[in-house]
Amino acid sequence: MKFSFSKKAVIAPLVALAVSASVISLFLVCMGESPSILVEAFTSTFFNSFGLGYTLYYTTPLILTGLSVALSFHAGLFNIGSEGQLHLGAIAIVALSCFFPNLPSFLAVPLGVLVALIFGGIWGMIAGYFKAKRGSHEVIVTILLNFIGIILVNYLILYPFKNTEVQNPETVEIGKGYVLPLLSDFTTLLGSDFFLTTPVNITLFLSIIAAILCYLFLFHTSKGYEIRALGQNPTAAEFNGIAVGANFILVLTLSGALSGLVGVNEVMGYHHKLIEGFSPQYGFTGIAVALIARNHPLGIILSALLFGAIHNGAREIEFLSEKMTKEVSVIMEALIIIIIASQPYFVRLFSKSKKEGAK
Amino acid sequence: MMELLLSTLRLSTPLIFAAMGGFLCERSGVATICLEGVLLTSAWAAATVTYLTHSPYLGAIAALIVGGFTMFIHAFLTVKAKADQIISGVVVNLIAAGMTPLLTKLLFGSPTNTKAIPISERFSSTTLTVVACLLPFTLYALVYRTGLGLRLLAAGDGPEALETSGVSSQKVRLWAMSLAGMVIGLGGVYLSTAHASQFTRDMTAGRGYIALTALIFGKWRPIPTFVSCLFFGLADALQIQLQSNPIFGHTFPVQALQAFPYIVTLLVLVGFIGNAKPPLAIGK
Repeated sequence: MKFSFSKKAVIAPLVALAVSASVISLFLVCMGESPSILVEAFTSTFFNSFGLGYTLYYTTPLILTGLSVALSFHAGLFNIGSEGQLHLGAIAIVALSCFFPNLPSFLAVPLGVLVALIFGGIWGMIAGYFKAKRGSHEVIVTILLNFIGIILVNYLILYPFKNTEVQNPETVEIGKGYVLPLLSDFTTLLGSDFFLTTPVNITLFLSIIAAILCYLFLFHTSKGYEIRALGQNPTAAEFNGIAVGANFILVLTLSGALSGLVGVNEVMGYHHKLIEGFSPQYGFTGIAVALIARNHPLGIILSALLFGAIHNGAREIEFLSEKMTKEVSVIMEALIIIIIASQPYFVRLFSKSKKEGAK
Repeated sequence: MMELLLSTLRLSTPLIFAAMGGFLCERSGVATICLEGVLLTSAWAAATVTYLTHSPYLGAIAALIVGGFTMFIHAFLTVKAKADQIISGVVVNLIAAGMTPLLTKLLFGSPTNTKAIPISERFSSTTLTVVACLLPFTLYALVYRTGLGLRLLAAGDGPEALETSGVSSQKVRLWAMSLAGMVIGLGGVYLSTAHASQFTRDMTAGRGYIALTALIFGKWRPIPTFVSCLFFGLADALQIQLQSNPIFGHTFPVQALQAFPYIVTLLVLVGFIGNAKPPLAIGK
């Protein structure tokens, strides 16, 4: 796998995006919707402060889950457990706040981030441990851990941490010290109303920093080199003295920790409580994000922005259309993944037909 | 006791269909984590067509076609387009999870469920359970005792050898997987028109993944896989019994019981099958 920003790396996602958008619009038209809905939904995701704010809010968790998937990919592992890991990270913050509700900001914020990292990391580490020690396939283990983790977190939301004053399945609010500033708080200080009433918060910067750190870790440290060597050829890596099992555990722990940070965006950044079913499959979308960016940590920032916009646009479509649901985004994601994943086939097909045309 | 046994059989049925479909796919050399998605689309097709046509048989035929087609997407992507088999599986699961609520909303107005099918139009669950219990033995005979079956095994263990003898391993895989989609389709029929009376969003609830674990636990052999499906069915039956009957005066929280089958599956996976050997050419 090459990581140079070749022309192909840019063209392929664009083609995938164009094709999937056309398919979706065709689908919309077939269902008797006006294609103007698609245009309206798309423009509202970027071209005004409200839409952009929401797009960036969805981009934040997707950067994190994208990194989580990509990091494992580099070690030749497939982390499908992002969904469970981010649930664990989110509930950990609520739990911390329940035990220490009155911590001052300078303690609460770093501790909140830390417990999200730790609990997401533990959920990833379990899969890594079983992979290293028992040879269990990480894909199935992480899928099962997703189910167990989500059920566990739903239980914690509904019983120990339930806000008994409301009917909705949600936890009590976290302490004031844990609350992170919204970006609109900064723009208000500057006398602007940009991003006003949107949930985008400084976790966005945290996730961008995480992406840069991942890049430095993978490409500029010897541990990162070990991990990439392991992913390229595990047998060769082992014969060169790289500890395969220990690195599997390390990578999945780090992946889990990255996913855990999604809880910071959700709980400390915006809702200030945890709501049952808060994640619209951020973990699975992370796979698409990583795939489009070819697992490059910095490319992930851009592809997460793309999927954040798709997600936001699909919400808009659900709002504008009476027939569509927000699952439109899932289908569009699936189409994009299909096109990118089977890219060599389409390239072959295309070049063959070009040759035949030349005859 | 009898009740527990019957309940185990009822809950194992969709697992058996899904695991046997998985058996055909993985034995032909393609890693298939999309049993869940195929089960979901075929369950949707069965409930929708049965409701619209008032015929459970048309519903079942639709489920077989849709199940076969869904698996064919995976087959096409992995065999023809040479996409990564895990990524392709994830995609098929995504498509299933996205398309079913969307189409349900288009046809029935609400994305969460299709309209209920009256009891007279539902498929007989006993028939399907009997079919499910006979299926592993039939597949055993077909795969290990016929020439076609040996070709399937060869496609999974040594595709080069198969190619040398003049048989296209690609073709074998495409056929095996389309057939597998139909087998899983029967599981979908069972879920939405026999076990329940309608399709509900994400009604498969991880059964495809549990079936996959049963397949690994059964070391990719039909009869042991069948037995492990029964074991996971028993775990599910036990949790349902525990929900209604408190033990020693304790009622467990419903979530703990819901998680029980997954925890059992995980423990089985990591505890007993460290050295399970998959088909040699899988993933390639």
